[in-house]
Amino acid sequence: MEPNKAISPEIARRKAIKKAKTVSKVAGLQVFFIVLCFLTLLPILYALGVSFGESNSLLSSSLSLFPETWTVDNYVKLFTDYDILTWFGNTILLAVSTVVLVLTISIPAAYAFSRFRFRFKGAAIRFLIILNAFPSVLSLYSIYTLIRELRLSNSIYGLLLVYVGTMAIFGLYNLKGYFDTIPYEIEEAARMDGCSTFQVITRILLPLARPALAVTGVMVLIYVWNEYIFATTFVSNPDFYTLASGLYGLQAQESTGSWPVFFAASLLVSAPILAVFMLAQRHMVSGLSSGGVKE
Amino acid sequence: MKKAALRKIEREARPWLFSSLSLLTIFLVVVFPIGHTVYLSFTNMGIYNYYDYTLIGIENYVDAFSLGSASFLRSLGITLLWTAVNMVLQLVIAYVLAVLLNSPHLKGRKVYKALLMIPWAMPGYVSILLWKNGMFNGQFGYLNKILSLFGAKADFLSNDVLAFVSCTIVNLWLALPFMIMIIDGALQSVNKELFESASLDGCNAFEKHLFVSIPSIVPIIAPAVLITLFTTFKQFDIINLMTISPVGTGAHIETVIVYAYQQAFITGNYGYSGAVATIIFVLVVLSTVFFDPSFRKKGAKHGAK
Repeated sequence: MEPNKAISPEIARRKAIKKAKTVSKVAGLQVFFIVLCFLTLLPILYALGVSFGESNSLLSSSLSLFPETWTVDNYVKLFTDYDILTWFGNTILLAVSTVVLVLTISIPAAYAFSRFRFRFKGAAIRFLIILNAFPSVLSLYSIYTLIRELRLSNSIYGLLLVYVGTMAIFGLYNLKGYFDTIPYEIEEAARMDGCSTFQVITRILLPLARPALAVTGVMVLIYVWNEYIFATTFVSNPDFYTLASGLYGLQAQESTGSWPVFFAASLLVSAPILAVFMLAQRHMVSGLSSGGVKE
Repeated sequence: MKKAALRKIEREARPWLFSSLSLLTIFLVVVFPIGHTVYLSFTNMGIYNYYDYTLIGIENYVDAFSLGSASFLRSLGITLLWTAVNMVLQLVIAYVLAVLLNSPHLKGRKVYKALLMIPWAMPGYVSILLWKNGMFNGQFGYLNKILSLFGAKADFLSNDVLAFVSCTIVNLWLALPFMIMIIDGALQSVNKELFESASLDGCNAFEKHLFVSIPSIVPIIAPAVLITLFTTFKQFDIINLMTISPVGTGAHIETVIVYAYQQAFITGNYGYSGAVATIIFVLVVLSTVFFDPSFRKKGAKHGAK
């Protein structure tokens, strides 16, 4: 190669130009992505700035994302003037109970749909898929009627029932998909050794299905944490506010003074689920792919 | 004899016994409300006949399709526009960004990817409210602060066109991360040799995308695109929170689902809302049966898993 270079400086020059072009192209791309990331995070950065600013800072016309004077007052107010601990408590209680209940009712059902052959099985699965495609907001009024008739409106139990029912199809379908991938031979061997069906499920199948159980649980948890329409429609008693109904209520108080508090609450509500999401993201795909369901 | 019959019954009952709790809950929370909604759609239930409503046949359906109340047909039009605009923008932008993210020599790729995924991880309703109250707010929204530099001001959510654009921006913000991730994943599987032979055949960069990359990722991303199509069609939270709840902002860009919700919870026409809901349900069922692999005939099934 060396002699070539010596012979033809023209080629070397072209190469240098090409290299310079690539470098500037990459640099341009680099700038583009930095700007894009900044623009993407702008709504969150703005909320962050306002939440640490004084209550009148919103009215300033400055474009700076940093508050002029830093304060944690808005966060303190959430605990003193508002009851964010109750909202957190209710949401955590609801999320954990929903996860436990969905798994409890879905495991035996998924086992039956995965391992037994019975009449109407295919029809039942197709029926469930159709039901899952139905946007529940369309029957919101009828769900509300049901909760009211069961005397569960304005309580945590009404929401719990709705959440468990809404996620039950996903739980069944996703776990069934995973159970299908576990070879039946493993189970047969256990049965030879005298295991009952209950033992087969608890001792053989569930330990093997741990990734699917984890993913199903995390998905249900995220669903409950992010759900607002049932929480704001069915509950009006502040004692049973979840994070969603609490935050929604903060927004309704239109006075400018409460906006920084609203932004502070928004970020506090998001933080735990962001953490869960980041931790779980890696494992999501493996536990979901087999079930092959949405979300 | 008897024992065998008993065992047969047991075998028949066992699966249903195992799934009874799950199926009962689903029946109570999902099936019953759908049935009740369909029933209401044939009644005149509304705020004026809250307790003493009667069956009125298909009047609500006739109303929905009659030109006199063009609002349902209008919302259907908006839904189609919403779905088309969002799907096209989403696919094009996600493809371009995914390709750029994969360009050689790019440093910090992982950091960009992680930052761009954050909107996906945020609780959806919180993001929508942050956009509404932080960015688009008429008085102190950040966008208006920028506009005020030029002496301008905009009421983003009170005007139909601006509200539609604003909602589209929010939807893209929420949905792009997933699509970028899917396309980025699919791009990894594009055969590099095909790319090289395309260059040898004299294809330029654009042609390489059109004839090599895109055809090879389409089958991989198809299921995700289909799911996104359904979610976009069914998108409720954005338009509801941005323009209707808790207080209407003045824009009327209701898609069918938002329209059905509004007719029940804001106008109080429960019967009519039920009819709209039933129509959407039929549409959703038909498209699910058409698109979902589990409804295909046995012979064509092996693409499903």
